Amino acid sequence: MIWESWGAFWDMGGRGFFVWGSYGALAIAIVAELVALKRARTAALKALQEENDL
Amino acid sequence: MARTESQSNEKFAGRWFWRYASPATFFPLAGKIELLCWVLAIVLAAVGLYMGFFVAPTDAQQGEVYRVIFIHVPAAWMAMVIYLAMAFWACTGLVLGTRLSFMMSHALAPTGAIMSVVALWTGALWGRPTWGTYWVWDARLTSTLILFFLYVGYMALAASFDDKKKGDRASALIALVGAINVPIIYFSVKWWNTLHQGSSVRPGSSSMATTMLTAMMIMTFAFWAYCIAAAMHRLRTEIIERERNAAWLKEAVKEAIK
Amino acid sequence: MSLMRATSAVFRRELQLFARRKSDWANPLMFFLIVCSLFPFAVGSESERLKLIGIGVIFVGALLAAMLSLPRLFDEDARDGSLELMVTSPEPLAALILARVAALSLALGVALAVVTPVFALFYALPFDVAVMLALTVAMAVPTLLLVGSIAAALLVSARGGAILTAVLVLPLTIPTLIFGAGAALKVFYGESPVAELALQAAFMLLALALCPLAAAAALKISTD
Repeated sequence: MIWESWGAFWDMGGRGFFVWGSYGALAIAIVAELVALKRARTAALKALQEENDL
Repeated sequence: MARTESQSNEKFAGRWFWRYASPATFFPLAGKIELLCWVLAIVLAAVGLYMGFFVAPTDAQQGEVYRVIFIHVPAAWMAMVIYLAMAFWACTGLVLGTRLSFMMSHALAPTGAIMSVVALWTGALWGRPTWGTYWVWDARLTSTLILFFLYVGYMALAASFDDKKKGDRASALIALVGAINVPIIYFSVKWWNTLHQGSSVRPGSSSMATTMLTAMMIMTFAFWAYCIAAAMHRLRTEIIERERNAAWLKEAVKEAIK
Repeated sequence: MSLMRATSAVFRRELQLFARRKSDWANPLMFFLIVCSLFPFAVGSESERLKLIGIGVIFVGALLAAMLSLPRLFDEDARDGSLELMVTSPEPLAALILARVAALSLALGVALAVVTPVFALFYALPFDVAVMLALTVAMAVPTLLLVGSIAAALLVSARGGAILTAVLVLPLTIPTLIFGAGAALKVFYGESPVAELALQAAFMLLALALCPLAAAAALKISTD
């Protein structure tokens, strides 16, 4: 382990804002994409079922 | 499909992979690829992030903030690679007329656009503490911005057509035109950079510690796996939407519901 | 021989239409004038600052004005059915498109280039810069129209076509923008613009060679 403490980890040498702002943005982007993927699939399946009265 | 597999292979003179140009045949394979890639993405990301945060040392010049590169560089790579893949499938579709190729292009685009935005955002947050400003007009960031414009243009064009077939071919053409232009634009922006010396020349990758490099490579593969998985998922959704009248699809859904 | 006749007929017709309809040249020029006039209000009227931004503003203004003329390449003919005739004619479609774009480039390019030195006055730019700017605008307009003809062909009579065309085409005009404005900038600093001019000319010629073919393919896609 190279961090003295968890505090130091979150602080990232004073640049925590930039590091976690980046990783946070990535996390948000991934979640947003996954949600969009799920919603599109649900809608497509629903449309398919309705059209064919399944 | 009223043929046996060997009859089918015979039809394509042994070039068995041609069967996968049919959405019906590719659909289950896409599902398998997708699952594999989700798993790979999670595993590789876990390993890569562990290495990146708990093994790679502090950088001599940049301190801790350099750790942004573990997602900035892979995102920028993917933004570029996905566009090339998009253009490749667009070309395939135009030349061979296979609609699955066009669907693959459509499936790749949103992921590529998201990657370019992530690359720009993380690049800005890395740039501020390192070189003093959030935005630098260097060749790579600027090209990523333009790539973002090209992605949005592609998606907007595809969406503006009611006739799907026309929309497929129109957007494929614009993807190709964009692909041809990207090297031209990159070269022009590089030239333009040297004219307007203004901002700091972005330091080329000073020799990185092996652990840093390894972590970055692992993260790159993780991103790759994630993007393939997302694209496969989107592709299967598009197949469901477009092939809604196909018997095989109705059967598959009936089976799934039971 | 009929290819020559067909293309020169198309060329002449475009020029005649352009000359006869005031809106075809008046509107882009007015747009150019107004856009270039807006920036001093936003930036302040000190001539030192205006000198710095003038080249860029004028060049982008010219590009935008040319961009707005793109829909008229094919939209009207689509409306009255003559586009179908053009697409199905025995003459190579790329040649006909080239003739049309060439005519529009000549007319619009000359119009915008001639007016450019006047705007150079607004921005307190020296005369040699104004002349270089006029020359590079004259080269940029054909390049933009050639690349834009592809998008215009794909979006024939599409709803909201003009904005989408701009979104598609403007990123692709960045090289010609870099080198065109760059040449004027070099003259501004008293250096030689030869390299930038050569590159801008190279892009124009590349566009000349490739874009009509792509635009022909695009027209075939959208009129299918």
